[in-house]
Amino acid sequence: MRRVYLDNSATTPVDPRVVEAMLPYLTEKFGNASSVHFYGQEARVALDRARREVATLINARPNELVFLSGGTEANNLAIRGIVESNVEHGRHIITSNIEHSAVRGVCDALEKRGWEVTRLPVYEEGVVRLEDVRAALRPDTALITLMLANNEIGTIQPVAEIGALVRQERERGRKYLWLHTDAVQAAGRMPVDVETLGCDLLSLSAHKLHAPKGAGALYVRRSVRLTPQSLGGHQERERRAGTESVPLLVAFGKAAALAREEMTDRIEHLARLRDQFEIGVEARVADIVFNGDRERRLPHLSNISFRFIEGEGLLINLDMQGVAVSTGSACSSGSLEPSPVIRAIGRDDELARGSIRFSLGKDTTAEDIAYVLEVLPRAVENLRRLSPLYQKSLAERACEIKTA
Amino acid sequence: MPYSEAFKDHLAHPRNGGEIPDADARAELTNPACGDRLRLTLRIRDGRITAARFLAYGCAPTLACGSALTEMLEGITTTDAARITRQQLTKLLDGLPARKSHAAALAIETLQEALRVAGSPPEASS
Repeated sequence: MRRVYLDNSATTPVDPRVVEAMLPYLTEKFGNASSVHFYGQEARVALDRARREVATLINARPNELVFLSGGTEANNLAIRGIVESNVEHGRHIITSNIEHSAVRGVCDALEKRGWEVTRLPVYEEGVVRLEDVRAALRPDTALITLMLANNEIGTIQPVAEIGALVRQERERGRKYLWLHTDAVQAAGRMPVDVETLGCDLLSLSAHKLHAPKGAGALYVRRSVRLTPQSLGGHQERERRAGTESVPLLVAFGKAAALAREEMTDRIEHLARLRDQFEIGVEARVADIVFNGDRERRLPHLSNISFRFIEGEGLLINLDMQGVAVSTGSACSSGSLEPSPVIRAIGRDDELARGSIRFSLGKDTTAEDIAYVLEVLPRAVENLRRLSPLYQKSLAERACEIKTA
Repeated sequence: MPYSEAFKDHLAHPRNGGEIPDADARAELTNPACGDRLRLTLRIRDGRITAARFLAYGCAPTLACGSALTEMLEGITTTDAARITRQQLTKLLDGLPARKSHAAALAIETLQEALRVAGSPPEASS
């Protein structure tokens, strides 16, 4: 059976060049980067190189990067670290209602501890509006945390515009307002430049970039002070205690270098295939809705709601034919509520439950897309035939035709 | 717990999908918590179910339970049908994840309702 992996927003396959780069650090080059001897220095040199590579990907300085275990830890350290070190200047946080659970969960927890959180709407296009951010700003706002691109619908948020707003506020003498962005989905799929964005903190994850799981980074602009969230070691300039995972971070560095070198080609390839896919689906399947703004979004992702059916059934049917996707339906996440992101863009429950995320990768081929376009319409049709909602709609349409 | 092969087979090749137009018994129930729906139609001749069809909207277990249930129903008496339990249905699917047991519950309740409508009071349930 042909297998097509269209869940690259969940994780990406590890690039063989990345595996090759990391392997020596699992075997003969096993040193602890904090050790002074030969083995330690060998690891240190590799770690420094990885730090330069990742820094270059986002136009940061190497010493502005804190290496850690992944996107979730980066978001935890960024948000908790910055608000805890700014308690005396204000306890208000601005965020959006489509953040990844790693940001949402931290904000919810802080709210219980006495911080106030404003969650901005994203409207049908799935994008936060600058005027809403401006209106939400208060004298006690300590942090704006907004994802660079959404993980479910891929919409790109106006972080650079908000960065400019924060800079204006600073020029007016406001010293304690910080901007964090979760760039886990965006990195490698669009140019990310911390200077253009004007952010103070930025989260990255290695495994979305064709490196293994277990590594990530937080960009911390020079002079920004964070309260560390793990203690007991001097690593990462006292900002993240714990022995660095040299092999995983070497892999991260290699993946970042490849992402930078190949970015233009990858973006062009992804967007071309994604557009082919969407045109194909539109031509073959009726009663669908595309979720999120179709211009301002990442090139690899397409989120589609299929009316009258539930995403989980479609996901399993596709999986049985070798196609891996993900869904915003509640069933597969184990909750009763369907995707808050699809609800946030104003879709009703039925559309939220019937949403499927197709996320392409650099290795996706035109043949893969052709295969998906062959099996998807049949799978949708089979499920719709079983759906009482579909039967009802057919009856209503027949009635309309009769009346006409 | 991942879904079993038997479960996936029902999902990929649903048995008895559809609706009997002039059914002798018909019921449609909705799970108020998650909105899953199951519609069951039966043809009954001399106290025996000669045909069963289902339509379902909801998570995969709801669809698989509808399919498996109709397979169990065809050819048995309404009295035997009323004795079908959630456990028996789940067994036919080689088990369901614990948090998905509501799908089997919805199927059995819909069956009980259809039999009630048809005038055969349910004798056993669980």
